[in-house]
Amino acid sequence: MRWLACELHTHTNHSDGKQTLEELTAGARRLGFDCIALTDHNTMSGLKDRERIESETGLTIIPGMEWTTFYGHMVTVGSMSLAAADWRRATPGNIAEGVAEVHRLGGLAGLAHPYRIGNPVCTGCYWEFEIQDWREIDYIEVWSKTFAPIQADNHRAFGLWTELLNAGVRIAATSGRDWHEQTETDDPLSVTYLGLEERSDEPLTVAAAAMAALGAGRASVTIGPLLTMEVRSEAGRAYGIGEAVPAGANGFEARAQILFSVRQGLWELEPQPFRLLITGSAGTIAERTIEPADGDYALPFPPDASRPLWIRAELWGVVRGASVRIAFTNAIYFD
Amino acid sequence: MLIDRMQTLKPEDSRSHIRCPFQLEQSASKMFIHFSYGPKLLDDRQQARELMEECVERYIEPERRSLVLGSMDRYFPLSNLITVSVDDPETYRGACHRHDPEQQLFLGESASSPGLTKGRLPSGLWSVTLSVHSIVTDTCEYRLRIWTEDPTTDQSAFS
Repeated sequence: MRWLACELHTHTNHSDGKQTLEELTAGARRLGFDCIALTDHNTMSGLKDRERIESETGLTIIPGMEWTTFYGHMVTVGSMSLAAADWRRATPGNIAEGVAEVHRLGGLAGLAHPYRIGNPVCTGCYWEFEIQDWREIDYIEVWSKTFAPIQADNHRAFGLWTELLNAGVRIAATSGRDWHEQTETDDPLSVTYLGLEERSDEPLTVAAAAMAALGAGRASVTIGPLLTMEVRSEAGRAYGIGEAVPAGANGFEARAQILFSVRQGLWELEPQPFRLLITGSAGTIAERTIEPADGDYALPFPPDASRPLWIRAELWGVVRGASVRIAFTNAIYFD
Repeated sequence: MLIDRMQTLKPEDSRSHIRCPFQLEQSASKMFIHFSYGPKLLDDRQQARELMEECVERYIEPERRSLVLGSMDRYFPLSNLITVSVDDPETYRGACHRHDPEQQLFLGESASSPGLTKGRLPSGLWSVTLSVHSIVTDTCEYRLRIWTEDPTTDQSAFS
């Protein structure tokens, strides 16, 4: 599995960004990203030089558009045709039609910063669309802006994601800086890593493989080290992030892998014993402290643990005086 | 001139789209859209505070409301926001989602203003949509003008 460092929510001067796509991609490169999604508000005209800029920078640019409506912002990614879905038809009750249209056009749809303060401060920024069936939504941007783990609106979004997982909905979670301009910041920056499958039978472009990963929930979000996980059953089978452990498989252990060596020099955490935990619908089922070095950790499920609906791995530590979730994986599900 | 319209909007027009269709009799080489609105900002602090109280009640969880209200000045001045999007007779031609209260936009075969898609300008029924995201002032007046540069007469619209 190759883990692609992605920034999934960006803007240029084609909407209200103060940067060209060249400036954005150069900035993303300097920060160690492999891939960005360009999600300008209600337009895709900023992608006209996409291929040239991709080949010049080596950065993958996923086409996207942020539906910037009166009742919520919805990030749509993964197809050059997404502008054909009419964001202006969105009403509080009909977002499912918009999502279906995005899917028909080959894209994925996610809630952008669902709890950011809305009108008149940030028009349409708070998600007010009614969702009848959450399974139609592909992902939730649970971490928005910089130093995301401490933001109150992100706590609510993270809580919404967890609630949905507990209700049996299989839905991905991402970060997105909502990056509008090249400004220097000391704040920790989030990265969404997407797990690209190695496929020799039907090679995909990097952008397509990244979208397949997001659609399958093969994602891990962090302000530093890359945290991944798999579940091994008694029978020796391994199940990765986004996958479902079939009914009948028993006797589990979680294997977490942490890479502090990713994007070296581009982020910093105070050295400390970090807390690694496996948590899910049945609460925290395994926990240990780890040193800030690359490592693999076996975390057996306690023998009396009831079978969860889902689990994820989380890494906790102190950042700028606050105890925060530094990284979290997307879920592994249990049928 | 294909369109020259002015209208006064009120806060109750927030969250509505104003569709402005027009017929382009023959294909053109360049189309100009000038859009302006004002006032942009709500200068009345008392009015702004009242709007913020409603906003906080609606969007902030109860335990954080007093904190947000205590620092609401960072959101001031509140502003009106109206954005432009364009449809040609066949397809969506993009949007200019930005805060400038005056926008001089164009569409052309080989280039367009950022936000709009370049390409041919076919004859038929076009439409410019004004999306009224938010009006916070008692009234807000806009003016929308649209015209084309005729390929045969070559008169510069900006001169």
